[in-house]
Amino acid sequence: MRDKATTLYIGPQHPGITGNMMVRVKVEGDTIVKATTEVGYLHRAFEKLQEKRNWLQSFTLMCRFCVPESDPMEESYARAVEAIEGREVPERAKYIRVMVLELARLASFMLWYGGQNGSLGLYTMGQWSVGDRNYILDLFEELTGGRVYHMYIWPGGVRKDLPKGFEQKVLKTMDYLEKRLGDYDDLMFDNAIFKKRTQGVGIVDKEKAIEHGVVGAVLRGCGIKSDIRIDDPYEVYDKLDFEVPTAEGGDIWARALVRRQEARQSIRIIRQVIADMPGGSFYNKIPNPQKWKIPAGDAYVRTESVRGEIGMYIASDGGLYPRRVHLRGAAYVHGITLLEDVLVGENLADISAIMNSLGTCPPEIER
Amino acid sequence: MQQLKANLIEHIKTSFKDAREKDYPNENRLDFYVNKQCIPSILTYAKDRLGYIHLSHIAIVDWLEDGEIELIYIIWSPEEKIKMFVRTRVERENSVMPNIDMIWRQANTYEREFREMYGIQFQGLEGEQDFLLEDWDGPPPMRRDFDTEAYADDTFFHRPGREDAQDVREAITKRSGEEIPDFAKKYSR
Repeated sequence: MRDKATTLYIGPQHPGITGNMMVRVKVEGDTIVKATTEVGYLHRAFEKLQEKRNWLQSFTLMCRFCVPESDPMEESYARAVEAIEGREVPERAKYIRVMVLELARLASFMLWYGGQNGSLGLYTMGQWSVGDRNYILDLFEELTGGRVYHMYIWPGGVRKDLPKGFEQKVLKTMDYLEKRLGDYDDLMFDNAIFKKRTQGVGIVDKEKAIEHGVVGAVLRGCGIKSDIRIDDPYEVYDKLDFEVPTAEGGDIWARALVRRQEARQSIRIIRQVIADMPGGSFYNKIPNPQKWKIPAGDAYVRTESVRGEIGMYIASDGGLYPRRVHLRGAAYVHGITLLEDVLVGENLADISAIMNSLGTCPPEIER
Repeated sequence: MQQLKANLIEHIKTSFKDAREKDYPNENRLDFYVNKQCIPSILTYAKDRLGYIHLSHIAIVDWLEDGEIELIYIIWSPEEKIKMFVRTRVERENSVMPNIDMIWRQANTYEREFREMYGIQFQGLEGEQDFLLEDWDGPPPMRRDFDTEAYADDTFFHRPGREDAQDVREAITKRSGEEIPDFAKKYSR
């Protein structure tokens, strides 16, 4: 019997799709011969809304760009505004920011562990890791009042100082999570199904990575050592000792190996910032937000998220409102042209695993 | 850093005589202002000859008062660790830009979005016409002169019970018979 090409619509409501988007695939048998992404299901016009919100009101929208890891957006917004204005940030605030960013990375890794395994039908990992993520969300709740959206890193520093005894709670949670990462290894990386379904699947080679502007763990998974925290350091990352893991192969397996090591590096960073945390002020107070004008100018800053480089371009015309806030999320690159390219030749059943592995986050694509 | 920047300025200005630079001495940032027709050639030159292999972002700003839209191509050299901002402006009316998705594939996504949201045509751009919007025939909605609130008022209707834009706290207290606490009164209309 001759195979006939069939068009299938995967999403936008589909448990294997990483958010509200659709992939239209043309398949022969169960091999994908063409993939086309379709987005536009959750555009919230954040960047348009910011035209009518003052600099502080705009900050409250930042964390909402992406649910799994909201803090890099807050941090990059704060840093871009500070760069245009020339506002100094207290040293203590910088250390607290790094601690929050790395906690957010860990929380996002936990979601990735669940999503990556869930996409292959391995649901136990998700139950473990999403449960363990709650311990980090408990910390966020105590520190910021919010579990997922924090609105904590704002221009001038951070919104509140650390509560009494908070550092010890963080260290205790890190000890627990470090032990759990070993359990995850047993469940995930020693799992024959996981190996079989990820090795040689969803390959991004070095040439393709550069052609598509790939960032983060996807780039490091094809052997290129690149990390914004090292290459273009911000806050206090240049004072910290940590490694940038890489792997060879460029497949889902390689990217998983990179993330496995990166989670441990985040714990290492958190312990360092707590040990080195200076005293003093945590906030360089901004003027009355209703009268707060930022000098004319622009800035572009980058933050390393779990999905890769987050870029924030902000332009000011000297007024009370941002002239332009323009986010560049890692998924903007990975989730459209790269995904369409990588899916060709792959098996229909691997779409979800590949999307998870590339860090496809539709809310970053449509802001 | 300053020596690297000086070399970069010399390279760019030798090949692109009309390019104007702006240096940010305390930052790893260097801006070049160029004519829009130079964009593909300067980006190709920077990528192939100078090692600026990473297109980090294409930012866009609508300068309504000037009748222009600015595009800022932000590229990064992993070797020199400098961010180069290649800036150009295009007129708002009948705006046409050269396409660069043959240099970096992800530029295709930016250009499709800008075509739809800012009304800029990119010469030779491939990819489906609809990106975020569907069957949209109105003005480009991310332009400064597109009033989202007025559009929503003209296009949609308010749900019954919202015509008077009543304050939610007052509506609840009216229904429940409870008083608004003193501390919350300042937030009511």
